[in-house]
Amino acid sequence: MGSKCIYCKGSIIKQKGSRLKVIGITKVTIPSPMHPIIPYNIILLEDEFGNRLPKKTMREFKIGDNYIEQKAKTDEAVSVVKIKYDIYEAIKESVELLNSFKFDKDDKILIKPSIIAAAYPYQTVNTNPDFLNALLILLLEYGIKKENIIVAEQALIGSNSIDSASKAGIIDVCKRHGIEFADISKGPFEAVEFDGYPFKIFKEALKRKLVNVPVMKTNFQIGISGAMENLSRLADEQTQRKMYYDGITKAIPKLARAINAFTIADASNGMQGQGPLSLGEPAFLNLVLSGKNAAALDKVFCNIAMLQAPFYVNASLPLKEIEVVGNEIDSLKYPIKAPVADETPHPDIKVIDGKACPACLNLMYGLTSRLVGLRGEQMSIVIGSMITEDVLKGKDRVIALGDCSIRKLQELKLDNIEKINEDMDHVEQLVLLKKLLTTKGVPKISSIDKVKSKMQMLLSKVVR
Amino acid sequence: MYIKGVGMTKFGAQQAPSQELIYEAVNEAVYDAECSLDDIDAIVISSIDSEKNGERQRLFPNVVASILRKKVPMLNPTAVCGGGGAAIWTANRLDYGTILVVGVEKLLTTTTMQTTDEIMMAAERIYEQAEGMNFPAENALVAQQYLLKYGATSDDLALVAYKNHQNAYNNPKARFYKKEVTLKQIKSSPVVASPLRLFDCSLSVNGAAAAIITKEKTDIEIAGSALCTDRLSAFESEDMTSWEASRKAAEDAYKQAGIGPKDISIAELHDAFTSVELISYEDLGFCNKGEAKNMIRKGITNIDGKQMYLL
Repeated sequence: MGSKCIYCKGSIIKQKGSRLKVIGITKVTIPSPMHPIIPYNIILLEDEFGNRLPKKTMREFKIGDNYIEQKAKTDEAVSVVKIKYDIYEAIKESVELLNSFKFDKDDKILIKPSIIAAAYPYQTVNTNPDFLNALLILLLEYGIKKENIIVAEQALIGSNSIDSASKAGIIDVCKRHGIEFADISKGPFEAVEFDGYPFKIFKEALKRKLVNVPVMKTNFQIGISGAMENLSRLADEQTQRKMYYDGITKAIPKLARAINAFTIADASNGMQGQGPLSLGEPAFLNLVLSGKNAAALDKVFCNIAMLQAPFYVNASLPLKEIEVVGNEIDSLKYPIKAPVADETPHPDIKVIDGKACPACLNLMYGLTSRLVGLRGEQMSIVIGSMITEDVLKGKDRVIALGDCSIRKLQELKLDNIEKINEDMDHVEQLVLLKKLLTTKGVPKISSIDKVKSKMQMLLSKVVR
Repeated sequence: MYIKGVGMTKFGAQQAPSQELIYEAVNEAVYDAECSLDDIDAIVISSIDSEKNGERQRLFPNVVASILRKKVPMLNPTAVCGGGGAAIWTANRLDYGTILVVGVEKLLTTTTMQTTDEIMMAAERIYEQAEGMNFPAENALVAQQYLLKYGATSDDLALVAYKNHQNAYNNPKARFYKKEVTLKQIKSSPVVASPLRLFDCSLSVNGAAAAIITKEKTDIEIAGSALCTDRLSAFESEDMTSWEASRKAAEDAYKQAGIGPKDISIAELHDAFTSVELISYEDLGFCNKGEAKNMIRKGITNIDGKQMYLL
């Protein structure tokens, strides 16, 4: 939208009313997909300038009542604000409803968005650049010096951070404000121990005040990628791999408890379904969630999106003890598509996820989506290391993908399961998976298959 | 321009594809006009862009072109509830000898929840849809302002529904043909969005209608036809109890026809909600502001009313 009035060409001034009065109420008794909980009320509010706006609420009001947005009473509160076309105003309202948003002009700040892969903003894989832009404007308005702010992130293991941040539009935003973008994967890191777990954390994150800016998404491995999960990429690759190997959902809470971050979560357009990558789909959420307790914020988000909160989130405060300001949770609730834990893009291939790291996860998604048009025999792909014999019981068509699962299956002495290595060429991997998918009975890779896959790989290089 | 012939399917729960509904209505109109499809020089179509009726048809001009085997200019002005009026208005301004105007909707194809959502797409996204403002809710807030301002009551709204159901009882094309609805049923029907009850809200139906308009003189002249578009959200209006677009369009149409509201003896109104009908009495000039309740209470707009007949 242009910044000048279309009629008089003068500057457009925001008119913000401060005194809201209830001038109308309706109780709605029919549900719709975005408003499944009935009955609900819509109050029509009017400000001192005569501007009107409707607001959904579960509370009872009378015509003539004053409407006052209550500020948080506790430091652990989570604010949830709807974006009314203006992300900046929503972020401002969201943080100003809280007592816990405390920054001084001389503070050094590290903003940690979520940029996991090279994807355009509309794909909602990464933090929306408009969201980061609005946040930077706000922080600069609060008097924080631009030279004291850095934006830092690293993409998922196997992805290039700068390429990802560029495609996501984040680098452009940083350049626009003259703010440095730091690639966390380049370090330096500092060894720290949180709750008995050794982490190597990006040094700057330990020295600065941290503003955590995740994009709220579903995650088929761990339920959601939210405020807590976003902090995991403050650790170096080695720590991240270890976290995945030991069980990412055990390590994340330790990190989230130890890192003192204020979260301003981008739920402008989040992700639903088979996230966190582009197999998920954009979800219209239109919200900003803020708070200093990442677990509480994630829990509130799960509740709003009607997702089952994963246990590592659920183990935080009980929901009823979390103070929520800005909007009532029940008035916001609508179900977004939940991730299905064992699904792959291919209808005949299920995944047994042993909490694989992003590299194997990407590999599995990439291979299975390439074969979507080819029907075969039902089979399961094992990824990650958190595998027990029990989960494999009764499954005779299983293959291991990636080093962690191969190593784990060897530990379990399940050597008869076919394997596709991580370091193999992609074409070879694809040819072998295709063979396994279309073979009846127990899938086997023969020497001829290996030769064929190598030949196809070489042929593909020639054709390229 | 003149009306040469009209056609209409029965409006109900029939599940025939839109193509069949269009064909039936057009066939009737052509028969009524005693003309041939070969005489049609242009076609104007009214249909909402329905996502959820299972048909996945976004390009209705071409759908009509396929059914009728016509290669003439075809337009589809989008105006949801006002689609029929907008289509006639458009046709009336096209410089062609004979124009077919056809409207088709299939709303009764899925769950009420999905249909509510579908219709909600005609509302503004951020302030309305995101705040739960489905169409009953939107109109309930308008109705409430109207009742508060002018002292009308829910009983007045019930009288509107009662009158319209009596009309439907006698209309073989109506969903409620020969289905009696009592005033008691209307008043005790469940609340959908207070103060609106079930019978204050029009039901979803499927059907099509067609008209052939022509430069050739017939018994029915389009003496005036006006269109005015208002802001998307009702709550944005300076006065929520009056629609300026309706007032302006009516004034313009009366002026074109050289008559005034007092000269009208039959009117057909958009009445998606009973409150809309009351407000329209006033905006169209049939009575002064706040007096619509007296019209409905006195039965002036009933089919056997002495002064006018409102459908």
